[in-house]
Amino acid sequence: MSGIIKQEKETTLYLGPQHPGITGNMMIELKVTGDTVQRGKTHVGYLHRGFEKLMEERLWMQCFPIVCRICVPEPDPNEENLARAIEEIEGREVPERAQYIRVLVLELSRLTAYLLWMGGQAGSAGLYTMPQWTVGDRDYILDLFEELTGGRVYHMYIWAGGVRRDLPEGFKGRVLKVMDYLEERLLEYDRLLFENAIFQKRAIGVGVIDKEKAMEWGVVGPPLRGCGIAHDVRRDEPYEVYDKLEWEVISKDGGDVCSRAYVRRKEIDQSISMVRQVLDKMPSGPVYNPGPNPLKWKLPVGDSYVRTESARGEFGYYVVSDGSLRPRRVHVRGPAYVHGVSLLERMLPGMNIADVSFIMNSLGTCPPEIER
Amino acid sequence: MGKIKGTLLPFSALKYLGKKPHTVRYPLETKKIADRYRGFHYNDIDECIGCGTCSTICQNDAIDMIKIDGIESKKGDSGLRPRVDNGRCCWCALCIEMCPTGSLSLTDKFILTSSNPDDYLLVPGVDNPEAKDNISFVKDNDITLLNFNRVPMRELEGSERIKSFAEVVLGYVQEEARQEAIRCIDCALCVTACPAHMHIPEYIAAIADADDKLALKYIYDNNPLPEMCGKVCTRQCETVCAMAHKGDAIAIRWLKRYATEQFPDPSIVLEPKISDPNGKTVGIIGGGPAGLSAGYFLALRGFDVTIYEALPKMGGMTFAGIPKYRFPEDSLDKQIDYMKKIGVKMINNIRVGKDISFAEIKEKYNAIFMGIGFHVPYTIGLDGENLNGSIQAIDFLREINIGNKVDVGKKVVVIGGGNVAIDAARVARRIGAKVTILYRRRVEDMPADWEEIEGAEDEGVNIITQGIPLEIIGKNGKVKTIKYGMAEMIPDPKGGRPRPKLIEGDEHILEVDTIIGAIGQEADYSFLTEEDTKELEIERGRVVVNEFKQTSMKNVFAGGDNVNRTMDAISAIADGVKAVEGIEKFLLG
Amino acid sequence: MSDELKQEQEIARIIHTTFKTAEVDIKRAGRLSIKLRSDLLPPFISYLRDYLQFKHLVLISCVDWIEDNEFELVYHVYSYEKKIHVMIKVRIDRENPKMQTILPFWDHAGTYEREIHEMNGVFFEGNPDLGEFILEDWDNIPPMRRDFNTVKYVNEVYEWRKGREDKQDVRETISKEYGEIIPDFDSEEK
Ligand SMILES: Cc1cc2nc3c(=O)[nH]c(=O)nc-3n(C[C@H](O)[C@H](O)[C@H](O)COP(=O)(O)OP(=O)(O)OC[C@H]3O[C@@H](n4cnc5c(N)ncnc54)[C@H](O)[C@@H]3O)c2cc1C
Ligand code: SF4
Repeated sequence: MSGIIKQEKETTLYLGPQHPGITGNMMIELKVTGDTVQRGKTHVGYLHRGFEKLMEERLWMQCFPIVCRICVPEPDPNEENLARAIEEIEGREVPERAQYIRVLVLELSRLTAYLLWMGGQAGSAGLYTMPQWTVGDRDYILDLFEELTGGRVYHMYIWAGGVRRDLPEGFKGRVLKVMDYLEERLLEYDRLLFENAIFQKRAIGVGVIDKEKAMEWGVVGPPLRGCGIAHDVRRDEPYEVYDKLEWEVISKDGGDVCSRAYVRRKEIDQSISMVRQVLDKMPSGPVYNPGPNPLKWKLPVGDSYVRTESARGEFGYYVVSDGSLRPRRVHVRGPAYVHGVSLLERMLPGMNIADVSFIMNSLGTCPPEIER
Repeated sequence: MGKIKGTLLPFSALKYLGKKPHTVRYPLETKKIADRYRGFHYNDIDECIGCGTCSTICQNDAIDMIKIDGIESKKGDSGLRPRVDNGRCCWCALCIEMCPTGSLSLTDKFILTSSNPDDYLLVPGVDNPEAKDNISFVKDNDITLLNFNRVPMRELEGSERIKSFAEVVLGYVQEEARQEAIRCIDCALCVTACPAHMHIPEYIAAIADADDKLALKYIYDNNPLPEMCGKVCTRQCETVCAMAHKGDAIAIRWLKRYATEQFPDPSIVLEPKISDPNGKTVGIIGGGPAGLSAGYFLALRGFDVTIYEALPKMGGMTFAGIPKYRFPEDSLDKQIDYMKKIGVKMINNIRVGKDISFAEIKEKYNAIFMGIGFHVPYTIGLDGENLNGSIQAIDFLREINIGNKVDVGKKVVVIGGGNVAIDAARVARRIGAKVTILYRRRVEDMPADWEEIEGAEDEGVNIITQGIPLEIIGKNGKVKTIKYGMAEMIPDPKGGRPRPKLIEGDEHILEVDTIIGAIGQEADYSFLTEEDTKELEIERGRVVVNEFKQTSMKNVFAGGDNVNRTMDAISAIADGVKAVEGIEKFLLG
Repeated sequence: MSDELKQEQEIARIIHTTFKTAEVDIKRAGRLSIKLRSDLLPPFISYLRDYLQFKHLVLISCVDWIEDNEFELVYHVYSYEKKIHVMIKVRIDRENPKMQTILPFWDHAGTYEREIHEMNGVFFEGNPDLGEFILEDWDNIPPMRRDFNTVKYVNEVYEWRKGREDKQDVRETISKEYGEIIPDFDSEEK
């Protein structure tokens, strides 16, 4: 063409439902001119399994194998949430050792989630060595899960009253070994990704969330802390034994992809430290406080909302019992519900097409928890 | 500056080009699979009892219970076995956690690809017997979803008990009953063993739901004497309870007892519907559990029923035999009153063959039910047995139960090891005697209920095992001592139970005021004429009946101890109920 | 009550001065449950958000109390400062379920309302986008209503795989084998 800039035509571009930059299936309908997004709309429904409805037709115990499937990369907060919500309605105590083990599981699962995120974040910037590495290293943690729970991805390990099995013999040593290994690897990751000029160029000043608006928009987790707002459920509403560990809430000003990455990167260190502390402080004792026969297990009438800090932010369960054998309602609140729909739609205008999945990744958009 | 460094840093990754990758390589190295891995199922087919709990708990509807060649149903085993659809299973292993026997487990096998959906159907243990060596995820004995511990039953202290005939077992209160009922997994295997096939899972579920009225309705549906059973039943159901494989059986008997005790007048809850009179009459000889049950259901169905009983009270052996501390009289009265309300006519103190002839009765009624029990004791067959002070347990118990005084002196020896012997011993304790039980074999060979044996020991009854009575020695026509010899147990070469054999010279003497024999009873058929005995087929002391309890005399039906071999109340009840069906068919077609 | 619930009690008191009909229940430290008349919701939300600093809209749930012929909308709101989570519960008629939107207070409330509209059939007045969200071409009753039965739906719409027809019910097998007839008292009563 002859160098004259024409009035550009608006085109519709469908990002997804299959797209390597998205964990799971979801589609963003983009209106673009040139390579600039004018506006976009999130379409979900490709992964709707109706779990919440299914649970209303199941016994309380039967809900546990279901909930973990709400999130593939990080299933454990679901189990923990459901268990704790039930325990709260029932007033059932959880043995201390079980609480420590739960934190161990939650932090290990946070590590696996962050490793996946790291790969995704790098991959969506075109840095393809990272996903190979992080997915490979994640498998070492999955090995630990396999040993502890019998399952690699879906653990079905935390249940009401505690956990399903005690740690296997020699488990502590093997966890520590993996932690040492990860710490070494983190140096490599830093070189390859976080200190990488290409990454920094792509990440700094991109996908900025307004600090003033963040809370109003319902932003949670690392994206909120990446705006310099130090809120973390583990500190605000400590559950299990988080108040018995030594740690600080990590936050960083900026509100862009880079500060969110920073927060997550630091939280990896923090999780490793928490895993070590938990293994150190874990008391001996029972790991399960038994409840009634699952076939005749009724909860008292009541409701409870419980939350955990998942790798993507506040994960919550609203559980309602009408006193019968089955839940009246289980409502799952995933952070991606807000991040992937209203927040993303608000951030899209003006974005470069190439940044869309890069930014989505940094927001932790995960469709299975949007539609459950 | 930083930029240049940031640009160069990633190249450090190049050093990995020379390193050995950490992925699995060809030729395929197999990775060690975790000890707890949750892969395909394995089932120990012989351990499995087909309770179907795995199928019930599976939230994926992945388990079907199916019939399998070579596995037959029997008491305590439905004969079904689980089949897993591996196309649906999510390997949550809830089925493993809920398996009451622990027969089901998961293995470390997990690879299966096929385009044929049928290939995903696996009957664990049958299709993959070799997987026995690959068992990985098993039920944990400490961390278990099922509650294997029975809610303990409160009882009077042993020292307290012997002061009176007060009921020993105190019964559950509602909270205890519910806790116990909640343990039940509703598998219904108990029904296979209950002679009356009571609706056990249904009434237990109702108790768990705090709906005691519904429980009572289920209970009375095919057992009109449930309070009696709730107190003294031999509870064959509990011996096959799925929970008994790894823990305590559900206290089925105590739960039944609980439900019946909640309602002083069952008719208010049951609101029994009595059919209009159908014009047929039935005469019943013997007011024991068999006769009463037959009478109840016959009356409900519009028959005109009259029970003839030789003793001053209905109840048979449950009145005249079973001691009051196990089955109090008001509890019996309550049930008899309820039956009277239904319209069952009862005549006491009339012995057929003495006060009225069998022929007359047969003439008077369209059909007869005969439930005369076993009331004639076997003799021990010892020298001196006819001396004063040598009595029979059932005579002793009957006298006590009727309210008569029996003087047994200070020292009593009971001969026998069954429930009757224990009852006699515990009753003798209560009227102030020092009691010794003399039994030929070992404690574990005693046919008596272990709870009864323990109860006797708690109350201070001394048990001499492997002691064979040899001679009763008297003075002035009254027993004075008993001589017994010690026995050794000779194993049975055919694998049967060991036999006691006297050890030469190892003889002992016990001082004694009263000797109570308790080695068995038989029926009294003296009311039958010679003609009758030709017509009525009796085999080894028992009346021969068909499926509907009909005897070889077409209009005579029979049931209870004089028919069955199990010789307990619930079998008598079951016989009575079954006979009603027969009588109905016989008279109404 | 103990000292640790001081803050909660204080909030309950403040709410009472303005909203006399609100039933405040302190469930535990950090958890308030408030039952409210449905028409009071928008002013209440505004009050809570702007006056009492409950800035974080966590979630909006809808519970179907079909036996009462009512839906219960539960608005979960959190204050990061006070570390208190409030569940505001309003009941609305199930026959003609309508509620005012709270979009003016929280932008992302729209998504929750859209989902509840789709899944329970509650109409949110003032929400411009109540279009399809998760479902596509759904023509049955809203699926999160209690009277929508998934098994029934599946049996009507889908076919089961072949090859499992030989499955047996353990209870039935046993009762059949032993000639036991299980009475059905429930249906007798009806
Ligand atoms: C000491 C003892 C303890 C027992 N404990 C238990 C226990 O804990 N649990 C349990 O389940 N079972 C127990 N049993 C067994 C149980 O009592 C009997 O199996 C049951 O009562 C049998 O019922 P039935 O109706 O066949 O006969 P019975 O109960 O023996 O009733 C027969 C009735 O017929 C009457 N009768 C007989 N001949 C005539 C006639 N010619 N005319 C009129 N009436 C006649 C008798 O007087 C008697 O009342 C015990 C038995 C004894 C002896
Ligand atoms: S492992 Fe879970 S899903 Fe599989 S059959 Fe057992 S209960 Fe069902």
